[in-house]
Amino acid sequence: MKTVGITALVPPELVFACGFKPFDLNNIVPTSDVRPRNKLCAWTAIWREEIMNGKLDLDSLVVVAGGDCHNALVDGERAAEKIPAFYLFYPFDGDKDYLKSQFERLSSFLGGIIDPEMMKTVKNVKKELIKLDQMRVRGMVSSELGFQYLISGSDLQGDPTAFREELSRIPQEKGDRSSMHRVALLGVPPIHHDFHREAEKLGLHIAFDEMPFEFIRHTGASLNELARDYADYTFARELKYRFNFLEEELKRRRVDAIIHCTQFACHHTLEDGMLREYLQYPTLTVHSDLPGPVPEQLKLRLEAFSEILWRRR
Amino acid sequence: MIRYGVDVGSTTAKIVSLTPELRYRIRETREWETLLEGIPSHEIASTGYFRHKIPHRVAATEITTAIYGVREYISDPEVIVDIGGQDTKVIDVQRNNFIVNDKCSAGTGAFLEFIAHHFGLRVTDLSEIHEKATRTIKINHTCSVFALSEVVSHLVDGCRVEDLIASIHQAFAERIAQMIPDDAGEIVLIGGTAQNRGIIRALEEILGERIYTPPNPQIINALGALRYGEEREEW
Ligand code: SF4
Repeated sequence: MKTVGITALVPPELVFACGFKPFDLNNIVPTSDVRPRNKLCAWTAIWREEIMNGKLDLDSLVVVAGGDCHNALVDGERAAEKIPAFYLFYPFDGDKDYLKSQFERLSSFLGGIIDPEMMKTVKNVKKELIKLDQMRVRGMVSSELGFQYLISGSDLQGDPTAFREELSRIPQEKGDRSSMHRVALLGVPPIHHDFHREAEKLGLHIAFDEMPFEFIRHTGASLNELARDYADYTFARELKYRFNFLEEELKRRRVDAIIHCTQFACHHTLEDGMLREYLQYPTLTVHSDLPGPVPEQLKLRLEAFSEILWRRR
Repeated sequence: MIRYGVDVGSTTAKIVSLTPELRYRIRETREWETLLEGIPSHEIASTGYFRHKIPHRVAATEITTAIYGVREYISDPEVIVDIGGQDTKVIDVQRNNFIVNDKCSAGTGAFLEFIAHHFGLRVTDLSEIHEKATRTIKINHTCSVFALSEVVSHLVDGCRVEDLIASIHQAFAERIAQMIPDDAGEIVLIGGTAQNRGIIRALEEILGERIYTPPNPQIINALGALRYGEEREEW
């Protein structure tokens, strides 16, 4: 099976249906020790560097360019010198017909749909991920364990059947999380691989991971269904649309506070002011750059944030 | 029972007790162990960079202890500015928000140390020297190292050291002011730098607000740790 490297939200339903195995390039970044020379955002620069150095076994690349990130587009264009690349553009206005035409072009790039049943298979796995997400909301699964699987909603670790089996074996974890603060992680996923573990140690239970939730909540068993669902990808839409969505989701999950993860040279940093004005929760903004374990300065901020939330109780 | 608040930061270590009146001792960080001789850990509430390392019963970050410490003197502070040796924290008490500048030394105590060292002065002398200034010059560089080369070039042009120190204080205060919310009312300055009148005056001019400094601003976090520890024991 050929492998296609993907960035952010590329429907795995479609990739598998075209006979390809998706591989989310961002998942290699948090544990990477690559330090690219020419970089803005470390996420895109690191996967670009790995592709340029021939370190990844990929047959092609799909970059979400429109509605996600211009840095990804440019680093993707550089990586396209090594492997064939496709640039996916989500509509800003949620136009489903436009998105369907984008998905049609993507499937032609991948050689066309050869196994449409795979869409249903992926859809069923995503149902299991939604259940896992709910278990974490109820505190039955730790922040870290939940995140570890939810973040794989983008590529199902390249094998939906094996991934589904793994999901069925996830144990409910012991430990009372009822006294912890319930926190929503908004913006980009943290670039520090132990972020969720460290946050939970400091009394912060992550009850919502924005990006992974986008990975698992959109699905469909046909091109039409996919276009209808994925057109709601909030990161691609205007900020107000995304904030309205978040407002409801945060209420539903009864979160106490927000951690807004931003990244050096990323537009999410610019959004911070508006996010704080719109979503009236105690908010900690985290500004990261290079991957690795959570640095001491960030631990201090998390600990102080946890103390502030205690004082508010 | 908690009897001592201990703050071990990047440059100094402080211990505070209130039995019944305020007593404190300050040492260099590398000597922090000498401060704790004979004191059992269950009597200590700790804070500062080394809060988890030193023996303690309760530990809290400097963000929390700053609030508790300042409240000993000012009941309702709106914004607390804590200029430490290696970072500067601005705590928006009303909005439960805080910013920490720990990526750049300009705007931290380290910058003033750096400048004082260059002129062969002690950092505690800077305030007095500032008093003798007759004018300030705009320092354009925000990076400590480049700011120093700018200062040196002004010296070459014949500027007085007093005027340059005042100018550095002004540039320093401008950096800090950028971190303070526009609508801040009651602003309290703590940390060793709060003893520098030149910086306080520059900040007051930029912000158009009075800056309050509690007595012994350098031990506020240790005092706050003590108060926080006492409160935690009651929970
Ligand atoms: S963190 Fe920002 S700049 Fe980096 S890939 Fe994500 S959206 Fe792009």
